[in-house]
Amino acid sequence: MKYFVCVLAILSVSWLAPGSFCEAMNLEAADATGPELPFVYTNWKHFTVKDGLPNDHVFALKNDGTRVWVGTEDGLACIDKLTGKIRSWNEKDGLPWRVVSALEVNPKTGELWIGLFGGGLARFSGGRFDHWNQLNSGLVNDVVYGVAVENDNIWAATTAGASRYNTISGEWTIYTEKNAPMEEIWNYGVCYNDGKVHLGVWGSGVLEFDVATERWKDYLDPDGEMEIDLYRDDGIVHVITTGTSYVEGILWVSTYFGMSRYDGRNWRGYYAHETGLPSDFGNAVKGRNGNEAWFATDKGVGVVADFETDTWVTYTMDPNTHGGKAVVSRGKDVIKTVDMPKCIPHNYALWVDFDGNDVWVGTSKGVGWAKGSGYYERLR
Amino acid sequence: MGGKNEVCGRILTILAVAAVCSAGVRAQEADRRHPVYVGVKVCATCHQGKGMGHQFSRWLASKHARAFAVLADPQAKRIAELSGIPQEPQESPTCLGCHATGAHAEDWEKDDTFSTLDGVQCERCHGPGSEYIDADIMADRRAATEAGLVMPTVRDCMGCHQVKGSHVAVHNLPALDIEQAMSEIAHPTPENFRFGPARHLLDVTASKKAEHKYIGTVTCANCHKGPTHGYQFSKWRMSAHARAYATLATAGAYDIAREQGLEDDPQDSPDCLKCHTTAYHRPAGSTATSDFLEEGVGCEACHGAGSDYYPEAIMTDARAAQAAGLKEVTRQTCLECHENAHGKPFDFDQAVKKIAHPTELPEVSQAPRYKTPVNMAVSPSGDEIYVACEASDTIIVVDIRELQKIAEIEVSRQPSDVTFSPDGTRAYVTNRLDDSVSVVDVSLRKVVATIPVGDEPHGVLTDVSGKHLYVLNTSSDSISVVDTVTLKEIKRLAASRNPWSLSRSPDGSAIYVTNNLSRFVKFRAASESEVTVIDTARAIVRDRAAVPAANLLQGVDWHPGGDFALITLNRTKNLVPMTRLLQGWTITNGLGIVWKSGRVDQVLLDEPSMCFPDPADVAITPDGTMALVTSSGSNRIAVVDIQKLVSMLEAASDYQREHVLPNHLGKPTEFVITHIPTMHSPRGIVITPDGRTAFAANALDDSLTAVDLEKLEVAATIDLGGPEVVTTRRLGERVFHSADVTFSRQFSCHSCHPDGHVDGLTYDIEPDGIGISPVDNRTLRGILDTAPFKWEGTNPSLQRQCGPRLAVFFTRIQPFTPEELSALEQYICTIPRPPNRYRPLGAELTDAQRRGKAMFERSMTNDGREIPKGQRCVTCHFPPLFTDRQRHDVGTKLQFDRESDFDTPHLSNIYDSAPYLHNGIAETLEEIWTRYNPNDEHGVTNDMTKDQLNDLIEYIKTL
Repeated sequence: MKYFVCVLAILSVSWLAPGSFCEAMNLEAADATGPELPFVYTNWKHFTVKDGLPNDHVFALKNDGTRVWVGTEDGLACIDKLTGKIRSWNEKDGLPWRVVSALEVNPKTGELWIGLFGGGLARFSGGRFDHWNQLNSGLVNDVVYGVAVENDNIWAATTAGASRYNTISGEWTIYTEKNAPMEEIWNYGVCYNDGKVHLGVWGSGVLEFDVATERWKDYLDPDGEMEIDLYRDDGIVHVITTGTSYVEGILWVSTYFGMSRYDGRNWRGYYAHETGLPSDFGNAVKGRNGNEAWFATDKGVGVVADFETDTWVTYTMDPNTHGGKAVVSRGKDVIKTVDMPKCIPHNYALWVDFDGNDVWVGTSKGVGWAKGSGYYERLR
Repeated sequence: MGGKNEVCGRILTILAVAAVCSAGVRAQEADRRHPVYVGVKVCATCHQGKGMGHQFSRWLASKHARAFAVLADPQAKRIAELSGIPQEPQESPTCLGCHATGAHAEDWEKDDTFSTLDGVQCERCHGPGSEYIDADIMADRRAATEAGLVMPTVRDCMGCHQVKGSHVAVHNLPALDIEQAMSEIAHPTPENFRFGPARHLLDVTASKKAEHKYIGTVTCANCHKGPTHGYQFSKWRMSAHARAYATLATAGAYDIAREQGLEDDPQDSPDCLKCHTTAYHRPAGSTATSDFLEEGVGCEACHGAGSDYYPEAIMTDARAAQAAGLKEVTRQTCLECHENAHGKPFDFDQAVKKIAHPTELPEVSQAPRYKTPVNMAVSPSGDEIYVACEASDTIIVVDIRELQKIAEIEVSRQPSDVTFSPDGTRAYVTNRLDDSVSVVDVSLRKVVATIPVGDEPHGVLTDVSGKHLYVLNTSSDSISVVDTVTLKEIKRLAASRNPWSLSRSPDGSAIYVTNNLSRFVKFRAASESEVTVIDTARAIVRDRAAVPAANLLQGVDWHPGGDFALITLNRTKNLVPMTRLLQGWTITNGLGIVWKSGRVDQVLLDEPSMCFPDPADVAITPDGTMALVTSSGSNRIAVVDIQKLVSMLEAASDYQREHVLPNHLGKPTEFVITHIPTMHSPRGIVITPDGRTAFAANALDDSLTAVDLEKLEVAATIDLGGPEVVTTRRLGERVFHSADVTFSRQFSCHSCHPDGHVDGLTYDIEPDGIGISPVDNRTLRGILDTAPFKWEGTNPSLQRQCGPRLAVFFTRIQPFTPEELSALEQYICTIPRPPNRYRPLGAELTDAQRRGKAMFERSMTNDGREIPKGQRCVTCHFPPLFTDRQRHDVGTKLQFDRESDFDTPHLSNIYDSAPYLHNGIAETLEEIWTRYNPNDEHGVTNDMTKDQLNDLIEYIKTL
């Protein structure tokens, strides 16, 4: 059943979205005397099939200098940020598999690592695709949900465990229930930062791998698999985790039943009914720093913009008018609502990536580029 | 026998067995029922004496017991040399694989009672014994077999006893008569067997004066073995002294005993043991081991009990050693036993000569050491050339003005390329065999640092600022980027396959890298090679230019105008039978023009009647008018008029450039100005900054050819100081690299086996008509003893492979002369295997490799089914060569293959000879089992989990 849910989650799509450019709004200027506010993105640009994307179902994004890589249900694309032009690759161009579910760039070598949903792992370097799958390599499974670059190693979160590929020695290491505290082996997401790899595992919470010691630590929901939180902030909100992001020593987690933040000592759980989260159904999370994280959900994008004051910005689009809205809230109390002609391209959001002050959001109807001219952290 | 003696002996026996049993228990705890080697002495606790048919003594008297010791013979060294084994034979896993027991077992798989020095012991044939040595188990054959006892077959014996070219060459022995051999080593257990009696020393209380204790020859051997000690242990082991105890079990000994009135087993007779053991008759204090008697007449029989003098600190001080009990050996020492022994005369002087074991070995003349210059760099000042000489492990410095060698700098092993820092203060040298770069201080002419890089580094070059050094790792298909300030590798870029050489664009923004081998292509598809383009500003790979239908992209040089670079290449028509002559037969040779835009043109340097085999390097004059290309197969340099070449291309249509010019034998005369002769096998070529002189490195002549570029003629040949004598091996090396023997002089052995390795292609060689059943090209590294050859195993020897067969299928003209063939065989036999990169010599297996070893050797599936012996990895790929040299059907026959049984390849360094299987259909080791073993015909593998298969592959890569 869980596989079915996952596939639905990844592939589901419904409404159309506009594809034109929108001018920015200056939120600060709008209310200079009110409470301190976070930065709100009001200047959005969309990229869809009409603009050259091979498919509107966007599963992954990766900012890479002057370009942004886009993983879609039917090919890989690259948006040139300077010209807005899109180049794409599908199987006849050498892309080993059409469904691109994860992207990561090795900052040292510039290589793009590609997770393929059913096709394994690929590397795009100098215009050449190299391909690893469960038949021609030690990759544990071809259904790859997440990819991370850890030093000279590439991690792949797959539906049958995690694989770690040493690009220097060529050795593949598989992590499953046999050698990691993995109660389930369906790995949804993986990230690496500051010497730690974090796996988001469907049914097994978050697993932390310390690169120096090669030891594992698991973070589970003390309430078990119950879909309610009996005791607040006692751990991760649920073991069905979909994404992890580790930045400035803070672990951000998305699950299908709420989100979590962990500072190494204290947990904080987030639910739609008491925060600016548009939904508890989290597809992915990206932490910008210890105070700010973006949650991609099935009903929009929720941003905890300032952890300490529990200030949120919720980005949604109106499926009828295709207009956008940003709601600023403190907890569940709405402080301000900003209407805008264009916001995220679709409320079913699957990915977020940062690009300096800008933010890129992947949805089931294309890519949204939020331009952050004047962006500031926390509140002003 | 005294009761106390007997008790003591039994206790010792029990202790020994208990120790073994505890080892077994320990092994079980670590890995349930994983057997460990216990050593012959443990087997001997039961398998000796009349009641067991003197099995132990029969072994001790056999050649098997001396198999390790015999590796100390000079002949063994010669065989090792022939086999390309750079180690001491007594330390080489390849030699020990057949000359010892458990050579490929890990330390933890050997109990303390085990010693490699005992040669081919019981467990070499019967399997490691910890799990079946228990007397109750051994008495039940079925139980013993289930516990791991192996009853060897003739096939098992032949794993080691098949004819080996190297051994025949040195010993000239006839093929083993296996029936005869089996009868010689037969050691049947008597029907009414009884386990051997406990052996023991005299009662320790027999003498109160015993000052020193006996420690046994194996203890002495801890130091007194190997070349630094004159192989003293091995010399003893080869002597009759070592067999003195075993001799007592022979019929002759029984006869002598009877003559002396002894009716019982001589090994039970104190009178016999007195002179047939080290110290049976001497009080020995609390000597710890009961096997002590069985060593025969050991070191201490003559030199005295060693307990107090054996420490190194004492042994190196003659007076101290003497004070601690070391005896001087005199005539009287020997006469104690040899005087009138069994009526035999005793010549003391002759006997001493016979058992002489001096510490120092006699000096052996060394084989001539050649230079073998392969690549060069001109110093930025234009004054000197640094020449990388791969055979002498040196850089030779040549003064350009004087045209002579002025210095030689030792670097590491097999230097293959060299470059200067832009300021000329440093030279960087790649050491192919050591996986490192030597940093040479030019003013000191000395290596000042060594930088570890990837596997088999070849080409090396800095960026224009000198900040980054790029090193091409040919065997790991990668490019190391080294920070020249910290002298550390900072990143590794992905090349294509076998990156070889590199050149920087005039504006410094890009570096072009040639790749020797084609990318992997689909089965029966033409090759496609790559020029990898590095963006030097970011030190990343920016682009990859595909070069279709070409391989062996080697030399590269940018045109000073910056519009293109020239590369050397082969166009190998490997997918059609070698009966087709159209468009230049099997391998045509030429140039690639790699334009800045990424476009690649190809032209030939072959002409209809005169080919240009093995183009190795290219250099363009500073004014951009000429390119000089070396042909290592024909000992020539081609001079290309670049303007004419470019004009020809520009005048051609796109179709012609793509489809006609790459195969047009008539075109080279339009742009090749002349050919200049060189000496043997020119490889690298450089041109001085003033454009007046070019230098080609004559690899197999130890010289440089200097070319006057104004006159386009040889100005001088510079001797690099190699030996003048041409050895048989060197002659063979020249034959291997020469195209003289092929039709139209089109290619050499080196063309398909560059430097004795692989070109990564599959070939359809036979004239079977349609070109649809190609076979994988196999490496020549370490093949000496792996006959038969060919995938179908139809050539029983290299003489056959390289002689008549080569003439019929490859060269199409007269075969090699007998002298050439013999030399060629010797060269091929001595192409060494590089050290294994996945398991450095002496390193322990990693956890994954250790688990993989268990999979390689397993006899049960995951669900507990027994794997038939014939379907276990280790059955056909057993050590030391990891091939049984037989043909097997592993289910890989394709529709048009003639045969279904294919030769079992050896697995040494198997990681660097992809693709795999007889037709090269498997790009990776994984695919051998994930794609091409659906019915478990190539070993039982389908029950393995993915992590188990990964472990198996990690282990296989260590072989």
